[in-house]
This record gives sequence, structure tokens and C-alpha cells, in this order.
Amino acid sequence: MQKLGEFKLPHFFNYPPYFTLQPVRDTREKQIQLWKELILDYCKTQKLFVIALEEEFPLFTNTVIERSLTNEAREAFLSALVSEGRAEWMDKGHRKCLILWHRIQDWADILLQFAKDNGLEDGVVTIEEIRFGTESQGTELHGIDRTILNRALKLLEQKGKLVVFKGTSTDDEGIKFSV
Amino acid sequence: MRRRPGIGGLQTAAAARDQYKKLGENVAKIRTDMMKEQLSTFRSQLEDFARKHKNDIRKNPAFRSQFHEMCAKVGVDPLASNKGFWAELLGIGDFYYELGVQIVDICLATRPLNGGLINLQELCQLLRQRRKSDRGVVSEDDCLRAISKLKVLGSGFEVISVGKKKLVRSVPTELNKDHNEILELAQGQGFVTVDEVERRLSWTSGRAIDALDTLLDEGLAMIDDGHKDGKRRYWFPCVSPISSLTGIDSL
Repeated sequence: MQKLGEFKLPHFFNYPPYFTLQPVRDTREKQIQLWKELILDYCKTQKLFVIALEEEFPLFTNTVIERSLTNEAREAFLSALVSEGRAEWMDKGHRKCLILWHRIQDWADILLQFAKDNGLEDGVVTIEEIRFGTESQGTELHGIDRTILNRALKLLEQKGKLVVFKGTSTDDEGIKFSV
Repeated sequence: MRRRPGIGGLQTAAAARDQYKKLGENVAKIRTDMMKEQLSTFRSQLEDFARKHKNDIRKNPAFRSQFHEMCAKVGVDPLASNKGFWAELLGIGDFYYELGVQIVDICLATRPLNGGLINLQELCQLLRQRRKSDRGVVSEDDCLRAISKLKVLGSGFEVISVGKKKLVRSVPTELNKDHNEILELAQGQGFVTVDEVERRLSWTSGRAIDALDTLLDEGLAMIDDGHKDGKRRYWFPCVSPISSLTGIDSL
């Protein structure tokens, strides 16, 4: 089985026609489903949050069979993810896509769990610590995308689970939990 | 018998005919009885054989296949009914029934990927993977028998030959001769181009494109425009080796 680094690629990745957007509806639907799953899987294991369409994304090219997804295909697959709520376009031109391999709600739950696990139910922690601190190492929060984190925080703020407050600089932004 | 004139003569002739008829029927009956007795002997010998070799039949596909042939010669179909001697003794009815159900499952699961046409070899392999250590090996012959039982259900299951390979069709799509020829051509590299079809089969462009479009619409073919030579390729999942299809691990 082919691998991309440590990531095991599914069989369809080696079948050339899957790199061409299929014209027949049923076939195309199956193709889109396979690619959606692959993209989410890959981004999750590699902890990738943003896909830029015009940049080289290893998943969109298979050098062994010499095939590459057209821009049209890339946009089709990502749009499908967006429709499903598993991604969001970051710009009107659809050049950049935010991948939600965890939905925002899931990230919010993970944050709450993190607070409980670290005895922070009434505590304070900085954004920096959440993203890069020692407590978050080994958890999914480590290295989380800033935009996604902000969205999750907003969601929890609306539910009254925490309050975001600003420090002297962006890195000092902190959270007070009230779980 | 001397013909007598008049009504009496007619009656005698009629009586004679009747007697000949009865004699003929008796002879036929004797012959039939003899045959029935011979068959009955064959059958009970076959039953003895089956009893003795029950395990071999269950476990060894080659043996099983030959056993079936023997049964066929004597007019016995161990799969004809799920009840009765054969099914009870050998549990064979259950075996093929179960196989049939698994085959239908696999065909349905792979249908989105291959349009409802699957290579027999591949089907058997997927079947084996599914059954793993389940009570003995499953051969292609077993698959074919199970599929022939499925046909009786009118479920649209059929085995078709394309070139040297056998494909199992699980959709009502009718493949005509043109489609078959393309599938056979595709067995070489797993794909064909319009040029190739025109050239190798000596068809007009229209005929080639027509056939390819139908196969595309039926989900049996997929297009590939990514080759650097710019020529569109039509790939056929049902003739490609297993490794080109996805999801088989989860089947």
C-alpha cells in the first residue's frame, strides 16, 4: 500500500480515473465521497487546518501514476466538504479552505474536557498555553489553528462556559473558564 | 391376425390395437421400472458415499466440485431443496445459501465502484477475506454454483464471459456484443482509448463513442483525462486488478 510519509493511502488513490472529475452523477458522487473522507483523514492525522488550492498539497498529486487533480476537481471536493459542514471557505475566491476535521462543536467539547482534565474549571489560561503549552502537549489542542480555536471559544463564551479577555498583546489573550 | 370383414372385424382390430398398446405400455413400464431401480441404486450408493466423505466434501473444494459432477450425472441436485437428506447430511444447502447471501452483499457493496460488474476472481477473493477461517476454503466453482442458485431468484445475477475472464453481473444492465468486445479489449491494460477501439476493432468513431458512452453511463467505466498525452482513457474497474478498488479492506 502506498504511503505519504506515515499515512497509508487508500487504494483508489492509485487508480488514475479518480483524479478526473467524473461526468456521470452516481460515479461522481462516489468519487467525491471517497475524496472527502481521504482529505479529512489526512488533515486529521497530519494536523493540517488549511488547504490552499493553488499550492502544492501532497494529497492532490500522485507522482507514481503521474496524475494530479485539476483545480476544478479540487474545488469540487472541498466544496462538498463545505456543504457538509466539515470545511469553510476562507475567502470569496475559494482559494483557501479551512478544514474542520473536528467540527467547531467538537473542538468546544475538547476544550471543556481539557479544562476539566487540568483542574481549570474556574481557572485562567492563556491562548498561548492552550495552543503550545506543556499541558496541551499530546492532546489534540496542541498546535490548533488560531481561527478554529477562536470560533470554539466564541461558542463556549455564548454558552457562558468561559470568558475571553485580552492581555497586553495578542499572545496574552486569556480565558477564564466557568465550567 | 387375420382380418375379419364387417363390424366384428373392426372390433377385433380395435381390440388387437388395444392389446398391443397395453403391451407397449407394459414394456415401457418395465423399462422405466428398471431404470428407476438402477437410479435408485445409484442414489443410495451416492448417499453412502456422501456419508463417508462428508468431511472431505465440506472442506475440500476440488473434491466438492467433483462430487457435484457425480450428482449431476445421476440427476441428483444436492442444492435443490434446503430440506431432506442432502441438506441435513451435508448442510450443503446452508453452505451455498450462506455463500449466496455473502455474494449479494459484496456485489451490492462494490456496485458504486464498478457499476455492478465484478471480476469473478476478485469476488472470490473478497469472499474469502470475509469468511477468513470460516469452515474451509471457497473455490470459484463454489461461487459459480451459489450464483446459479441466485439466478433462480431472478435477481439479475449472472456470470458472463469476457475474453478469458468471467465477470459477475449483479445489475439488469444488458451488455451487447459491442460492449463485450470493449471489455475484452480493456483487459489488456485496464483501459481503452477511442483510437484504440477504432483501430483494434475496426469500428467507426461513432460506434466506438456510442458504446463507450453507454458503458460510462452505466457506471461500468470511468474517464481519465490526466495523462500527459492528452488522450482520454476509459478505465473499467471490473477488469482491473483488485488493488485498484478501494474499501475492500473494510468489506
